[in-house]
Amino acid sequence: MSSPSVEHTGEVVQQTVLIIDDEPTARVALASRLKRLGYRVLQADDGKVGLDVLRRERPDLTILDWMMPEMDGPSFCEVVRQDPDLLSSQILMMTSNDQPEQIAEGLARGADDFLSKAASKYEITARVQAGVRAAGLIKRLEDVTTEIRQKQEALERELQSAARYVESLLPASGTIGPGVQMVRLYRPSLALGGDLFNVVPWSDDLLGLYLLDASGHGVSPALRSASFATFLRRESLLRHVGSSDPGAILTEANKHFPLTENGHYFTIVFATLDVRCHTLSYATAGHSGAFLHRKSGEVCWMARPNLPLGFDPSTVYGTEVLSIEPGDRLYVLSDGLYEVPDSTGNLWGQDRLEQLVRMHGQRPLQEVLSCALDEAVRWLGHEQFPDDVAVMAVEID
Amino acid sequence: MSLQIKERPVSQGVVLEMVGDLTYANREQFKMSVEAIRQKGCRHLILHMAEVRFVDSSGLGLLALVSQNFKLSQAKVSMLKPQSYVREIMSLANIQKLIPVYDNEQDALAGQPKAA
Repeated sequence: MSSPSVEHTGEVVQQTVLIIDDEPTARVALASRLKRLGYRVLQADDGKVGLDVLRRERPDLTILDWMMPEMDGPSFCEVVRQDPDLLSSQILMMTSNDQPEQIAEGLARGADDFLSKAASKYEITARVQAGVRAAGLIKRLEDVTTEIRQKQEALERELQSAARYVESLLPASGTIGPGVQMVRLYRPSLALGGDLFNVVPWSDDLLGLYLLDASGHGVSPALRSASFATFLRRESLLRHVGSSDPGAILTEANKHFPLTENGHYFTIVFATLDVRCHTLSYATAGHSGAFLHRKSGEVCWMARPNLPLGFDPSTVYGTEVLSIEPGDRLYVLSDGLYEVPDSTGNLWGQDRLEQLVRMHGQRPLQEVLSCALDEAVRWLGHEQFPDDVAVMAVEID
Repeated sequence: MSLQIKERPVSQGVVLEMVGDLTYANREQFKMSVEAIRQKGCRHLILHMAEVRFVDSSGLGLLALVSQNFKLSQAKVSMLKPQSYVREIMSLANIQKLIPVYDNEQDALAGQPKAA
């Protein structure tokens, strides 16, 4: 016969059985037998007292009489099963009410096992052992679940901390240059996003603006994006490229950021706004890019079909130049805003976004962005975007 | 949506018939199939895309990776009959610059730049 104790992290723990029975003779006799078998035994003479002991001592097994004053056995079981702290307690109902329908009722109301008071001492011993064994398994399951939950919580805290760092890399909305206002929108699809955007202040009247998107989701793209953002800082670009020309910057970046061994890469749009000369030069690498909403109402998309970064190290990215007028607005955005499916899989799409901008584009920038976000959410049917949403909206006075 | 992949040897290479989505969820399966073909010394891999409904950004990256790895092995990769939506996704990333696209197997095998 196995010993009623378990070894837990090197320490031998005696197992505890609680007997709840209002009949002292039967209770004391069973208690003596279990003590002889090596169990620690607690006793209570009715259900209410038994509940207090159960809460305080958390025994491995509770052996419960059916008929008792104050609170009977089945009512005791019901209270235990509704209490989140106690519900996994193992309960062996022991009674002379051993007709099949009574057994069924006892089990239905929350007992784990049933034992007739007329059972032999061998059967009683075997049932107690089975109950204690089940309690041990449940305890292990609970411990593992708690450990997993704690690890998960720690991981989520880490991710949130990393997400705050990524967000701290983004520019704040406001004036980013003489007569140039920027409003941003950033909604990562997971805690950590792979989209990043920023402003590169070349000089008083020359502003770089970029938005990059790392393929994949989660920690790895966020780390790769942060590393790329470091490359795209003004000092780093001056050192590596020596120019504010968007095409030259992407051509150089393409050499620094090859395809990863898992086929991950960046897409990017990089624009340089010359406030004095009223020009906007830009280059894209596999990115759906940006659009200019001119004061005249015209919408001009700035995407060009070309390879994402890392696809071919020999790629030379060209720069396109647009003239701009005061009142024109530039939207640099990830496709996460408009590539959102409705319940049938139909995408909201660039065309609908363009229509919305044509219709509401004269309102303040913040309102235009809120309006676009609301419409995308309405199309999607919920607020959980499948991909990162990142927009930098810029107004040139 | 899953991805079913079937290999069909042809005289100068292997046609990989794919049914489903070429996406992040199916990346390992695609990578393993293609890598096994490359390691067997295949000279020309033809990706038969007629039954591929969707390629996501991870899928595009895998196509670029396959193209680079085959180039390193002095082998080539071609693509056959991508659906119009997939063709659209690939055209923004200019994938056809790395992997020529054909409308029939004979042209792909002959390497004739006929379709696209």
